[in-house]
Amino acid sequence: MKLTEALQTLHEAESPQGTAFPVLLACGFTPLHLETFLGAHLQKSIPGRRVKVGTGLYGDLAGTLERQSSKDTQAVAIALEWPDLDARLGYRSLGGWGPAEEAEIADQVAAALERLSDAIERLSDAVPVAVSLPSLPLPPAFHAPGWEAGKAELTIQADLAKFAARLAECPGVSVASPQRLLEQSPLGQRLDLQAELLTGYPYSVPHADAVGAALARLLLPAAPKKGLITDLDDTVWSGVVGEVGPEAVAWDLNNHAQVHGLYQQTLAALTGQGVLVAVASKNNSDIVNRVFARRDILLDKDKIFPMEVDWRPKSESVGRILAAWNVGPDSVVFIDDSPMELAEVKAAWPEIDCLLFPKNDYAATLALFRTVRDLFGKRRLADEDRFRLASIRTAATHPQDNVSGSRQDMFLSQAGAVLTAQFNPPVTDSRILELVNKTNQFNLNGLRHTEAEWRRNFDSRSSFLLLVSYEDKYGPLGKIAVLAGKRQDSALQVYTWVMSCRAFSRRIEHGCLDLLFSHFGVGELRFNFAPTPRNDPFRACFAPFLGVGPEKPFSVTRAQFEEHCPRLYLKVETIV
Amino acid sequence: MSEVTVREKLTKCFRAVFPTLLDATIPGASAATVAAWDSLAAITLLHVIEEEFQTAVDFDRLAELNSFESLAEYLFSHVEE
Repeated sequence: MKLTEALQTLHEAESPQGTAFPVLLACGFTPLHLETFLGAHLQKSIPGRRVKVGTGLYGDLAGTLERQSSKDTQAVAIALEWPDLDARLGYRSLGGWGPAEEAEIADQVAAALERLSDAIERLSDAVPVAVSLPSLPLPPAFHAPGWEAGKAELTIQADLAKFAARLAECPGVSVASPQRLLEQSPLGQRLDLQAELLTGYPYSVPHADAVGAALARLLLPAAPKKGLITDLDDTVWSGVVGEVGPEAVAWDLNNHAQVHGLYQQTLAALTGQGVLVAVASKNNSDIVNRVFARRDILLDKDKIFPMEVDWRPKSESVGRILAAWNVGPDSVVFIDDSPMELAEVKAAWPEIDCLLFPKNDYAATLALFRTVRDLFGKRRLADEDRFRLASIRTAATHPQDNVSGSRQDMFLSQAGAVLTAQFNPPVTDSRILELVNKTNQFNLNGLRHTEAEWRRNFDSRSSFLLLVSYEDKYGPLGKIAVLAGKRQDSALQVYTWVMSCRAFSRRIEHGCLDLLFSHFGVGELRFNFAPTPRNDPFRACFAPFLGVGPEKPFSVTRAQFEEHCPRLYLKVETIV
Repeated sequence: MSEVTVREKLTKCFRAVFPTLLDATIPGASAATVAAWDSLAAITLLHVIEEEFQTAVDFDRLAELNSFESLAEYLFSHVEE
């Protein structure tokens, strides 16, 4: 982004419309363009809000963090630089360089990092914190020549690495990748010494853009994709299996097909982190099965679902896969080596990210792997990520949608379902906000929340949070529903209710209503409902109680619920 | 670059850095007449000018480049076609 564009973005967002999104930019230098770029990148990520970037005191990063109240901000971005660790590592101090200072500088750096760690960990209990590690080159303060890493310099770098690793373990802290920053902003072009000496602002304009973008991306990350649909020939393996046979396709070094092995390895890793992987291939399924039966294959066929192998248009295969997964096309990536197949799928499913597998271009293949990692990467993995494929496969094997009431009753009565209701779980459980911010279909109103906003919902004693987990004889679904609201006299106001689409058709939603009535002893539930383009399943759930699907906020009385609730076969276990 | 082009592009830079200025007042703008024109705004303005004109501005002359007119003259004499 150019500086002019960043300034214009902030100016255009200055209108009083939209809720404010206050962010603290904590840095020890004059924030100048970093403040502008951070604000602009955040603003572009949340166009409906007004980003307000506040800053701390010059030269006192640790003090800024220690004094910051979490009530005044919804996120904290930290741009750490060497002078924050010891002023002698900057250019505005003349405290001394050279052998006599080196050991003491290293000791001072270690002490400063300890103090910063404590302050950041404390802040991260309340608001998300993003950290950019020192990004400017170390000054020529050490006795070794610049091409040699001396002991003091390496000690400082080692302490910094320990500091970063400690922060990365904190649930509320994220650390910008120095490697990625290095790709986007070459080391030698980062420092603007003239601006540093004139104004105390050390970054070149492009570097401020890169750091601002990195911090903004950590604070407001894009939702990761949920599913990947892949071709097989010349993607998962080298060669066309229908022509050369299952023993002749390859994915190893000896056959100059290692990139296909790396692709298999990438897909296997994705399945391990809960990404859904399916195949859409024009092929003979018997021959394909023989390849997956080979002992040297790296991608387990059991981890792929569904396997759409036939001769129909791939857009049709993709449609069936989306139906089996029950996810929207905007959450899916399709990879094929054929531009024509990509175009055919893109024409039918424009929201899908269609990526070319560049089989004869090594650099482009590596770029593809990196893109895939970026699209699917998650900061933290939850237990539910392990269950996802098994529960979707079970749902496909035992489809419950559109079956008659008596058949569904028969199925549910023998399912051995256990619903675990955890009242007021730790607000910091990352799965809760993940469900709230990623669920589209069974969603009361589609509202998304920042971490800080979400936590503040529960400051009042009358508020409640309910986290629902589910398990039946087909396996656990894990934590699948979140309800939140507050008590109002003899009623309960519900302002958040989301449920994973994997949990549909089990009457879990009815079980949740039953729980709310019985646990709180209220006679009425009031729902802050708002229609969204995708929450029809939520509306459909309430049509029997109201006569029609709701269009605006509504309420359900206990009498209405008891009259229309279908029979429940859920064993409920409550954790208070 | 013609003087007209320099002035048009410079006006765009002023709009970005001082968005509350009316276009009609930009040619007469200076550090003395624009309250928001402080030292940090001056640095921002020069960086925006560098971006827009694809040229390096001599920051040591920051003190004298303190008006639309002085910047227009500087750019007209320093920016190549």
